[in-house]
Amino acid sequence: MSEILEQISTAVIEGEVEEMVDLTEDALGDDISAEDILNKGLMAGMDYVGVEFKAGNVFVPEVLRSARAMQESMSVLKPLLEESGVQMLGKVLLGTVKGDLHDIGKNLVGMMCEGAGFEVKDLGKDIAPEAFADAVKEFEPDVLGMSALLTTTMRVMETTINVLEEAGVRDKVKVMIGGAPVTQAFSDQIGADGYASNAASAAELAKQMVGRA
Amino acid sequence: MRTNYRVNSGVRFRMLSKDQLRELYWGVLHVLEYTGLEVHHDEARDVLKKAGAWVDGLRVRIPSYLVRRSLKMAPRSFTIFARDGNPRHDIHIGPGRAHFGPGPTCPNFADIETLERRPYVKADVPQVAKIVDALPNIDFCESLGTVSDVHHDLGALYEFAGMFPNTSKPIVAWSYDRHDSAGIHEIAVAEAGGQEAFERRPNYVHYCEPLSPLVSTYEALEKLLFAAKHRIPLIFTPCPIAGGTAPVTAAGIITMAAAESWMGLTVAQAIQPGLPYIMGGVLSVMDMSAMILAYGAPELSLMMAGITELAHYAGLPLWQTGGCTDSKTFDAQAMIEGSMSVFFSALSGGDLTHDVGYTESGMTGSVFQLAAMDEAIGYSRRITRGIEVNEDTLAVDAIHNVGPNGHYLREPHTRRHFKSEFWLPNLHDRRNFEEWDMMGRTTMKGRTVAWVREILATHQPSAIKSETEKVIQKVLEAGEDRVKDQ
Repeated sequence: MSEILEQISTAVIEGEVEEMVDLTEDALGDDISAEDILNKGLMAGMDYVGVEFKAGNVFVPEVLRSARAMQESMSVLKPLLEESGVQMLGKVLLGTVKGDLHDIGKNLVGMMCEGAGFEVKDLGKDIAPEAFADAVKEFEPDVLGMSALLTTTMRVMETTINVLEEAGVRDKVKVMIGGAPVTQAFSDQIGADGYASNAASAAELAKQMVGRA
Repeated sequence: MRTNYRVNSGVRFRMLSKDQLRELYWGVLHVLEYTGLEVHHDEARDVLKKAGAWVDGLRVRIPSYLVRRSLKMAPRSFTIFARDGNPRHDIHIGPGRAHFGPGPTCPNFADIETLERRPYVKADVPQVAKIVDALPNIDFCESLGTVSDVHHDLGALYEFAGMFPNTSKPIVAWSYDRHDSAGIHEIAVAEAGGQEAFERRPNYVHYCEPLSPLVSTYEALEKLLFAAKHRIPLIFTPCPIAGGTAPVTAAGIITMAAAESWMGLTVAQAIQPGLPYIMGGVLSVMDMSAMILAYGAPELSLMMAGITELAHYAGLPLWQTGGCTDSKTFDAQAMIEGSMSVFFSALSGGDLTHDVGYTESGMTGSVFQLAAMDEAIGYSRRITRGIEVNEDTLAVDAIHNVGPNGHYLREPHTRRHFKSEFWLPNLHDRRNFEEWDMMGRTTMKGRTVAWVREILATHQPSAIKSETEKVIQKVLEAGEDRVKDQ
């Protein structure tokens, strides 16, 4: 592996956010392709971070800092990757359902998905079913993630899935759900495509859903 | 007679100095005045505006004089009364008194027969209340779960309706919205003998929860307004997570949580001056690997001790937390985490310590954890009661009587004092090996399970009035009617 790619993956691991754009431009200046920078630099670093996180040696704030570093580099690489037709990992659309303002878990899922290499759009909290459907049409995500903390609001996930069907976009997107009271049984019951019990496994699930796990 | 003599009547634990408390106190007032909070309720914003707060859209900032005036209006001491007039079940809130009880809203429950985790159901409610009623060191009742097998909007009503007839210990009532709150209040008022009688002798406490960071939701305020208007003693308790929804430092999370709770205090005192108000909340860390709110962390006890001292400095009682664990089962971790936090709650003198019986970080309620913690609370209470020193307890006469080479077993002094000096274990085993072996080599877990089942088989809580039973039926029917088309 070239030295600059190694520097990039180390910078991702160390979360050197400020250095990422310069390093990325240096690598491009050395005629390394955007695809190689992504796969052999950024993702190599994130894979290492992922393994260390699972082993309990690296912690959430450090993972998020690494993901943020990767995003910096991606701001340079994205147009080039699109130009050269490289298949990206995919797009994840997120939101906390109508009536629920608890969103710390959903925010974590977003950052973990970014770290895994997804393009993430976060609609925020208290999101109406219709707003989810509109965003699916506009953003065309591969995966839609919904969260709820309350037993009263988790049922809105079912309503949202029904609205996606009425809007004719249900089969265009995989739906994953999560939140403290949510279970696999509930996911099956309301016709979601999957449930994850925490943010890291949500990112894993999203990867499975796009066939890239 | 002794003169110029100071007595410590219990073990006292103080973490923060006056200077540190003053700095925290003014930090909270600064947050309320300069940052403010989002208040998602029109009427609550109007109340605050009329009282002198600055309202800008949803954001409300409260000048420090107004918060300080509200703190002065709230009582430090008051009583929550047993519904049946049993004075041993009254809770006297005041300096130096720590009380304990379970927590609300766990989605799961450790089944009493199988000990396995499963969804919490309606039939669990009376069981939990009966056990609370019987446990000698548990003072108030919550249900340890969210009822999953009734219409989803009626869970809180069925919860209260199931608890109220099965314990005369005061209930801390949780609810979804003001419909629940109204139904719950109707039941409690029926038993008390009318609204006026209830105001003289309130028999339950209302619980609401704002959202961190710095948001008061519509539902939380809707319930707060209901409680304030009906003069129901009130808990307003956020649940911030250090490093996630709150600053990572203990001083930071205490400051922010106090600001969230004092916003509720200001609304409540503006509506109902002198309303008994119990400051929240539940403070702990986000585990940075498991991404959960850690209920068994030492930082929970530390942060809770800090906010307890701040509350007492400001003249309010505090809604403490303890007896809870991140363990998934009845094991050594559950006992260490639960006992340590129980002991620190007792030491800090937090007024109402809840979440006793929480396992799996609040995801599963367990009456076994609750019953084992009853033992830990008894143990802690013996320590915090301290040592009495006077002419009699000094035992100079007894020492003289027995002299060298004697024994104290037959001394009147021994007979007179051993029952109050010694704590009598209930679940802990102190027998010698041979006896323990002969009695079947029982474990703490086995003895706890057996005790819980024995309570359920034998304990009879005092009955509610027959009129109240009718009111409960009426309230549940009205609830079913309200939701039948949803």
